[in-house]
Amino acid sequence: MPWPTLNDPVHDSQRLFRQLLAAMSEPGTRYTLDAPQPPDGEIGPALWGTLLTLCDLDTRVWLAPEWDTAALREALALHTGSRVTECAEEADFALVTPDTMGKGPDFSLGSDEYPDRSTTLLVVLDDLEGAEEWRLSGPGIADCRVLGLGAAARPLMARLIANQNHFPRGLDTILTCGARLAAIPRSTRIEEGA
Amino acid sequence: MYVAVKGGERAIANAHRLLADRRRGARDQAELEVGQIEEQLRLAVDRVMSEASLYDPELAALAIKQASGDIIEAVFLLRAYRTTLPRLAVSEPLDTGAMRIERRISAAYKDIPGGQILGPTYDYTHRLLDFMLLAEGEAPPPERAERALEACPPLLELLDAEGLIERETDNGCEPADITRDPPDYPVDRATRLQMLARGDEGYLLALGYSTQRGYGRNHPFAGEIRLGHVEVEIFVEEWGEAVCVGEIALSECQMINQFGGSRDAAPQFTRGYGLAFGHSERKAMAMALVDRALRAEELGEEVQGPAQQAEFVLAHADSVEASGFVSHLKLPHYVDFQSELELLRRLRREHDRRECDMGPDAQPEDSL
Amino acid sequence: MNGYNFAYLDEQTKRMIRRALLKAVAIPGYQVPFGGREMPMPYGWGTGGMQLTASILGAGDVLKVIDQGADDTTNAVSIRAFFERVAGVETTTATGTANVIQTRHRIPEAPLAPDQILVFQVPIPEPLRFIEPSEQETRLMHALEEYGVMQVKLYEDIARYGHIATTYAYPVKVDGRYVMDPSPIPKFDNPKLHQSDALMLFGAGREKRLYAIPPYTRVESLDFEDHPFEIQRWDESCALCGSRESFLDEVITDDAGGRMFVCSDTDYCLTRRGELA
Repeated sequence: MPWPTLNDPVHDSQRLFRQLLAAMSEPGTRYTLDAPQPPDGEIGPALWGTLLTLCDLDTRVWLAPEWDTAALREALALHTGSRVTECAEEADFALVTPDTMGKGPDFSLGSDEYPDRSTTLLVVLDDLEGAEEWRLSGPGIADCRVLGLGAAARPLMARLIANQNHFPRGLDTILTCGARLAAIPRSTRIEEGA
Repeated sequence: MYVAVKGGERAIANAHRLLADRRRGARDQAELEVGQIEEQLRLAVDRVMSEASLYDPELAALAIKQASGDIIEAVFLLRAYRTTLPRLAVSEPLDTGAMRIERRISAAYKDIPGGQILGPTYDYTHRLLDFMLLAEGEAPPPERAERALEACPPLLELLDAEGLIERETDNGCEPADITRDPPDYPVDRATRLQMLARGDEGYLLALGYSTQRGYGRNHPFAGEIRLGHVEVEIFVEEWGEAVCVGEIALSECQMINQFGGSRDAAPQFTRGYGLAFGHSERKAMAMALVDRALRAEELGEEVQGPAQQAEFVLAHADSVEASGFVSHLKLPHYVDFQSELELLRRLRREHDRRECDMGPDAQPEDSL
Repeated sequence: MNGYNFAYLDEQTKRMIRRALLKAVAIPGYQVPFGGREMPMPYGWGTGGMQLTASILGAGDVLKVIDQGADDTTNAVSIRAFFERVAGVETTTATGTANVIQTRHRIPEAPLAPDQILVFQVPIPEPLRFIEPSEQETRLMHALEEYGVMQVKLYEDIARYGHIATTYAYPVKVDGRYVMDPSPIPKFDNPKLHQSDALMLFGAGREKRLYAIPPYTRVESLDFEDHPFEIQRWDESCALCGSRESFLDEVITDDAGGRMFVCSDTDYCLTRRGELA
């Protein structure tokens, strides 16, 4: 079954981008994306919509083995033209799970001179409203914001907490679950518990 | 009662109408056709194409017409159009050795294989105003050689064969693309050459000239200057081969410069390279001088002239950037000016108060 | 407009700028290099701001453009007309109704709302440029967080004038890390950068850099304990609306040097006059 793309590439990608921009500007805030739904068993619309909005010939995408399907590769090539890379370090975007992060592929943190040349993580989660609470603060957050995630997110969050030691180098993260997403840029300070 | 000035929109519309009127000039004169500009102001067209990085004589001519002959404005018009064009394919490297030659000279040799071909040049013309052109005299057709010149290999290969000049080889790296990525200083030679190729001719001419006057001297000889047409090829995956998609006119300059070398490496001539669209010989020469000057560090020379300072030279070479930023001074700056006024008044008030406190007879302490 | 994409830029260029914007937001105050394109306006006239606006603007947005705080200055009129033409978006002069506000040299007086985006036009994005002209050097200074020279420069002013003599483009430190040029806004506007409700984006077209301050971000103007940062104050009030809080422009009214002061933010002034009437 062919993967769907944006009905109106110009205006749909603008709309989705503004949601991504808002999500990155207000870490931990959840957004629901009205994006095309890939076939069952594949990534959700929020992640697919993000890929369609941000990826093209100039980007390289790394795929976690559990989501690396022939159908996704084909759809990426057809609808975005972006290249799939096996080398974590050269990925602009990495499609990962919390488990991936526990295993620790070396995604690029950027350099001190060019911290922007880093990988953006696109995470597939089972739950974006779980019981384990994380307290976020920093730019984009008036005081603090509490984000609840499932227990499975732990290895990811451990990695993101460690991420803060490298600032301004670091990973920026977009958490997705179905049609919903939230972002945690590297500037966010994360503490366990509310 | 003060009423703030309004009507910016109407003022702009009226200014544009007036501009269009001035562009057209007196209506008793025939209107310039784009085709006439393309054919008869050829060198202006070539310069606009070079600095706009778009090979399209018709649109360059249109830009010149629209800009009333202001070349920098025409470059800007064409560049702004260029930036909206999709990238359809990437050409193979041009082979200027296979150029269909119209002009080819070398100042380094008395005679060269194939001969010195002067071609259409202003060199050796006496710069006397030709009043015949006022009277619309028809130019006689040129005399043509009986047969076209065969493709000539680059002259500097002769020196290379003897090992007398540094060898330039393709390092196989994908060159940066300055039309898509911002310069990341220090930039490599491929990037520098791209930036020089679209750099303002007058600016590069002055910088090249400065190297001849001792500010980063590099002892140049015009090794070879060639002008002519070169085929543009693209590689078609499906056919597994490169196909020619057309021809463009180019001016190429290979400068021979004084030796590099060290205790370990035998001395060799070094090179400066210039390339421009169309017949843009002055530009190609200036570019070659500046290219060589910018290699100072790589060749272990002391950087002492402005033309050798890469970031300075490259960051200010683009006329579209330069004229834009200079002209922006015409925009209102009254908020910042007000901030300066407020501070200046305060500083002067404080100064006066201090003078006053000290009294007319007071002496500054350090003069006691 | 025929022959051009929505909002002028092609989609690939927009995507490149959008990716850079996300990085800019993630690293507040850091200047992200981007592949700035030529715009059909001259460099220095707002091409950076325009590329950002073109990359974020949607058909449903309402756009406001100001220059020197005013909607009716020629450059503001021209940029507004450009986006009306190439994007067909609705435009407004009312600060409160706009989603996207592109500005040169001012931040509106009225507090911005959480769903608004302020886009600044930036001529020289590098706050250290006038101390160190080389890009290679300033890049390293940012990387090493080596901002001593900036403090020295400001302190030299104090030694010489008794005041910091920078009145606009006054450098700030963002979230305790990057020293940033807030564009040539008067230092009067600097406090509005701090903990703003709105996202602020900065675009420098000729220099090919963009940067951002997310909402609710700590933004401090550089100063010294014995010389704390302070903003301009006027003895006068606005001759039109009577405001004592806004940035005032000095208007020469006659050849004898007569002058009056009026709000630089025209929408703020008009709104106040409407409320007073």
